[in-house]
Amino acid sequence: MNDQIVEFSNLLRRNGIRVSPSENMEALRALELVGVGDPHGFRTALRATLVKRFADMRLFEELFELFFLGFGKAVAESDRRLMAQLGLNPKEFQEWLEQVRSLLEHRKDHLSPIARALLAGDMGQVERLLREAAATEDGEAVERRVSVGVYSHRVAVAIQIDRVEQETADFLAWAESRGAAPEILERLARYLDERLKALSQLLRELAEQELRKSGQTPPGRERLEYLMQKSFSYYTAEDIRRMNEVVTQLARRFKNLLSLRRKKADRGRFDVKDTLRKNLQYGGVPFEIQLDRRKREKPQVIVLCDISDSVLNASRFMLQFVYSLQELYSKVRSFVFVSEVGEVTQLFEENEIQTAVEMALKGEVIDVYCHSNFGRAFDMFYREHFSAVTSKTTFLVIGDGRNNYNSPNDWVLKEIQQKAKQLIWLNPESRLTWGFGDSEMARYVPHCDFVEECRNIEQLYKVIDRIAA
Amino acid sequence: MFRSIDDVIRRLGEQKYICNKNVATVVYLACAMQKPVLVEGPAGVGKTELGKVLANSLGLELIRLQCYEGLDEGKALYEWEYAKQLLYTQILKDKVGEILQGSQSLKQAVDRIAKEDDVFFSEKFLLPRPLLRALVAEKSTVLLVDEVDKSDTEFEAFLLEVLSDFQISVPEIGTLRAKHLPLVILTSNNSREMSDALKRRCLHLYLDFPEPQREMEIIKLKVPGVGEKLVEEVAYLLQRLRKLDLKKKPSISETLDWVKALTLLNMKRLDDQLVQETLSTLMKYEGDIRKAEEELKRYLADRKTKLHAAAVESDKDLLH
Repeated sequence: MNDQIVEFSNLLRRNGIRVSPSENMEALRALELVGVGDPHGFRTALRATLVKRFADMRLFEELFELFFLGFGKAVAESDRRLMAQLGLNPKEFQEWLEQVRSLLEHRKDHLSPIARALLAGDMGQVERLLREAAATEDGEAVERRVSVGVYSHRVAVAIQIDRVEQETADFLAWAESRGAAPEILERLARYLDERLKALSQLLRELAEQELRKSGQTPPGRERLEYLMQKSFSYYTAEDIRRMNEVVTQLARRFKNLLSLRRKKADRGRFDVKDTLRKNLQYGGVPFEIQLDRRKREKPQVIVLCDISDSVLNASRFMLQFVYSLQELYSKVRSFVFVSEVGEVTQLFEENEIQTAVEMALKGEVIDVYCHSNFGRAFDMFYREHFSAVTSKTTFLVIGDGRNNYNSPNDWVLKEIQQKAKQLIWLNPESRLTWGFGDSEMARYVPHCDFVEECRNIEQLYKVIDRIAA
Repeated sequence: MFRSIDDVIRRLGEQKYICNKNVATVVYLACAMQKPVLVEGPAGVGKTELGKVLANSLGLELIRLQCYEGLDEGKALYEWEYAKQLLYTQILKDKVGEILQGSQSLKQAVDRIAKEDDVFFSEKFLLPRPLLRALVAEKSTVLLVDEVDKSDTEFEAFLLEVLSDFQISVPEIGTLRAKHLPLVILTSNNSREMSDALKRRCLHLYLDFPEPQREMEIIKLKVPGVGEKLVEEVAYLLQRLRKLDLKKKPSISETLDWVKALTLLNMKRLDDQLVQETLSTLMKYEGDIRKAEEELKRYLADRKTKLHAAAVESDKDLLH
C-alpha cells in the first residue's frame, strides 16, 4: 500500500500538484485511521491530506480515477459486456468461469502465465504481469513522449501478445478436438474473443497511466515564464486565455508584496505624544520610542487605454491588472479610446473583470473600427472628463502614440501632468521605433513623468509596482 | 472525541448540522491525527458553523479568533501587562525592602532579588488573547480561526508555529507549550491564496454548495413547519439559480432566510408575485436579482408545462 501511495503522489507531482514528503506521510497515517476498506473514505483521506488547493481538486479526481480505478473499471466493463453477450446473469457467469477454469487446468502446460490468467479471468494477475512488463520496458519510450498507442504497442510486444493470441486459438482448437458441444464451443469462442479485447483495453489503460506518470504535459513554470516575456503582438487566443490566470496570480503576489513593504515603510518621524503615553508604564521614562505611523493615501487611478488593434493586448492586461488590484486604490476610473473616448468604469462595476474587459474591448462603448486619433481623444477627454483628474490621481495612458498624422494635442497631457500626481505612459512598441512615421511619442514624452516600453507581462508588472507606490 | 466517521455524522446531526461523508471523514481525521483543518469554500456554506457545531458536539469550549487586516500578535496571542507589573512592584516595595534587609553586599542583594525573579516575570502579567487561551486552557478546546485569508501574510507566518508545534514563544517568559492540543479549524473565503507552508500543516476541506437532497434536509431541519412541496421547489430552483452567472451566488444561509420569509408569508408553493417580492433576501445585488427574476419566470413556465403534461397523463389514465 505504502508504495502505491508514494507512487500516486509522484503522479500528482508530475502533473503539477505540489505534494511534500510530510504530506505523504500524513496521507499514510490518515489511511491507517480510515482504513482502506471504505473506498469513499480512502478517497477523501487522500484528498484532504494531499491536495490543498481548490484549483487542483479536479486534477486530483481525474488522476485518482486513472490510478486507482482505471483498471478496475476496465475489468468490470469487460465482464459486463461478456455477460450481456453471452446472455448470462452474474451467477451463471460465475459458473461459466468455473467451467472454463477447469478446462484450462487440463491445458496449463501449453499456456503462458499471462494467457492463463487472462482466460481464467484473473484480472489482478493480468494487471501484475502487465505492470512487470511495463517496468522492464525501460523509461526510454516515456522520455521520448511517445503516444499512448505506441507505448501500449511496446508493452504488447513485451508480453508477446501474438503468442497469447496463438495460445488462445490453440486452446479453442483443443476444446473442439475434445468434442465439446457446438453451443459451448461458440460460447467459448466469444468468451475468448472478448477476453483478448479486454487485454488490449487494459494495455491502453496502462499506457495512459504510465505516460501520465511521466508528466507528459505539465502546465509548466517554464511555459508561463516564456509567456511573460513573449511580446503582446504575437499572442494567440490560447495564450490570452492562459495569461488571464497569470495576471490574477501576479496581482495577488503583488498585493502580498506591497503589504509587506508598506509595513516597513510606514514608520515616520518621532511622535512625542504617543511616546509619552506608551512610556507611562515605565513611569514616564522613555524606554520605547514611538514613531509616527504615516498615513498613506491610497492613490486614485485613471487609465486611458488605446484599444486599436495594435495595442489591444497591452490594454487588455493593464485593465485586468488594475482591476484585480482594485482594493489598493481608492478609486479607479477607466476610459478607452480609438478616436472617441468612452468611459468603461461602470462596466467593471457591474461585471466580472474578465467579461468587463472583453466588453470594453469589443466596441460596446465606442466605435473600434476607425483610425486611431490620439489628438481627438485627448481633446475630448479634456472637455468631458478633465474634472476627474485631481492632485491624487495617477494618470495612466496606454498607447503606441501612432496618431495617423492628426493634430497631436499634446497640450492636454501638459494640463494633466500639472494637475495629476503623476502621468505615466506605457507604449507597447519597441523604444527604437518611437518617433518614426506617424508616432508622436517625441511630442508626448516631455509631458510625462514616466514613460516605459511595455511589450510583455513582465514589463507591465514592473509598471504596476510604480503606480501603487 | 469521535469514534468513527458515522459517529461524526450522527453527533453533528444532533447539533442540527447535516454533513456529508466527505466532511465527516475530514473532521474525523482531524480529531484523530490532531491536525488543523483548513476549510475553504464560497461564503455562507457553513464553514464557521462547522467550528461552532464541533465545539458543541464535543462539549469543548469554543475560542474564536476573527482575522482582519492588521491583526497582530498583540491582539491574537497575548499582551504583557506592564502597568500591572509596575503597580505590583510599587505596592511590594516594602516587601522587597524586607527581603533585602540584612544583605551585606550589593552582590548578595542582587542574588536575593534574583531568587524572586520569577514573580515579576510570570504568567500573572500575561494577558491572554484567543491563541494563548486555547493553548494554556486546562481542557482541550476548539480554536476557530475565522477568515484567515483576511489576515496579513506576516500573521499567517506567525500562525505556523502555533499550528505545527502548538507552542508559542513569549519573549518575557520563554516558550509556552499547549497542555492539551486544541482542535483547530481555519476558515478561508479564498480572497487570497494561503501560503504553501500553512497549507502543508493542515488538512484541507472544500465545502461546496450542497446537493439538492442535502439542502432539502437542511431546510427542513432549520425551518420547522415548512411545507414539503415548498422545500422541494426551493431546493430545485436554487440549483438552477447557482448555475447562473451571478455576482454572489445564493448560499445556504441566504436560502434559509428566504425560506423563513416564505413560510412567514404562509406560502405553500412558489408563485410569481410573492417570490419576486422576497427575492431580495436571497440576492444581494440589483443585477443578480434581475437575472434571478428571469430564471424564476423560466422555472415557473417549465413547471407549468410539466404540470400540464402530468395532468394530460393522468387524464389519459382516467380514460383508460
